[in-house]
Amino acid sequence: MNPAQGGWVILLTVVLAMLASIVHLPESWPAWLGWWRPVWVPLVLFFWVVEVPHRVGLIAAWIVGLALDVLVADPLGINGALLACLTFFTWRFYERLRMFAVLQQGLLLLVLLSVYELLRSLVLAWVRGDAFSWAVLLGPLFSAFLWPFVYMFLQRLRTGFRVA
Amino acid sequence: MLLALLMVSSALLTLESTTRLLDPLRSFVGTLVSPLRFVAETPYFIGGEVDEVLTDREQLQQQNSALNQRVLELSQVTQQFLALRQENERLRGLLGSRRRIPHDVLVAELIGIAPRPNSLQIVIDKGTSAGAYIGQAVLDSQGLFGQVVSVDRFTSHVLLLSDHMHALPVEVNRSGVRGIAAGIGERNQLRLEDVPTTADIREGDLVVSSGLGGRFPQGYPVGRVSSMQVEPGAALASVLLEPTAHLDRSRHVLLVFPAEQPVVEALEPSVELTLDEPEEILLEPQPTEETP
Repeated sequence: MNPAQGGWVILLTVVLAMLASIVHLPESWPAWLGWWRPVWVPLVLFFWVVEVPHRVGLIAAWIVGLALDVLVADPLGINGALLACLTFFTWRFYERLRMFAVLQQGLLLLVLLSVYELLRSLVLAWVRGDAFSWAVLLGPLFSAFLWPFVYMFLQRLRTGFRVA
Repeated sequence: MLLALLMVSSALLTLESTTRLLDPLRSFVGTLVSPLRFVAETPYFIGGEVDEVLTDREQLQQQNSALNQRVLELSQVTQQFLALRQENERLRGLLGSRRRIPHDVLVAELIGIAPRPNSLQIVIDKGTSAGAYIGQAVLDSQGLFGQVVSVDRFTSHVLLLSDHMHALPVEVNRSGVRGIAAGIGERNQLRLEDVPTTADIREGDLVVSSGLGGRFPQGYPVGRVSSMQVEPGAALASVLLEPTAHLDRSRHVLLVFPAEQPVVEALEPSVELTLDEPEEILLEPQPTEETP
């Protein structure tokens, strides 16, 4: 069997995740809804690292982060560093994480993504002087809630296209 | 490997927060990912098209008459404006001061909003290929909107007036009091900084750009004073402005070009090309047939 199969599926889902993180709501909707935006890219990356750890590299994760920096107008390098850290952590424990139930994974994601967002907004506050707000934790909360659905969807894609 | 990447990241962070060396890198990556922006905006493009197709005759007529009314009103204002401008120029000539320079503008459309509620930036569909540059002033139909902070080939980011990183020199239209209008991160509020308690400012005063920083053109409306509070014993008054531009609603904005620079060429060649192309296509095959 071709060892490097379905790389384009991984790429496509990551690109879709990036797309989902820049699509904006209609202007007539209240602005605070923006705080609930799930952190799509780390979510999708987490799935692929747990399922096919040999297909997602640190450098690839970092480059995805760089593109995300430009897309969401963050300082260059910040998302890259955080995504690389996330990938590294998930790599360390992927065998154990695969044994987790989906809900357990969701809880773990809540913690991981909260740390991700907190670090991000702390760095932003430090580098750019952005106001820090605890509302950044709403995104991870909603992401963890969505995790079972994302997991089912991506798992179906993975088996359907035989990504290995 | 992780350590190396973290080091590269922190190097990028420090470089970008202290210098402008990384602008080309951001612009390059931005050009690569700009198709994503256009894709992300398609629901709104399609929504707009569908709206246009579905509007019925009656609505169009209503809209038409409303627009006609507006044209009448505006043309009346324009007539006055022309006379006033001439008078103003005569008076300025008497005073010996320089004539005001008119500015060229280019219409741009919003194609994205920074996804975080606390960073007030938008993305527009004009980039370096249309002549946009970093630091360029952006207006909407009601007043000053913001400035361009990063450009790539097809898109650019605009920092809104009300972002907490933004401030611009202004003056009160009525009394000429100068000040600095800074954003505080609220979408519909600016703060006039360091105003002495004795300054001649009242609620409802129009505040316009003073052009002192050299970045924004002079005399465009920035906001109206919504509240002026003087705490007893305080040295400074706290003055809040409400921006005149529709910072959260405008879908079309204007990029302002200084008058010395020739009008953007990006628009004109396309018109010429469509005119010239048929002739060239007809002419060019003939010499190639003659050569053998």
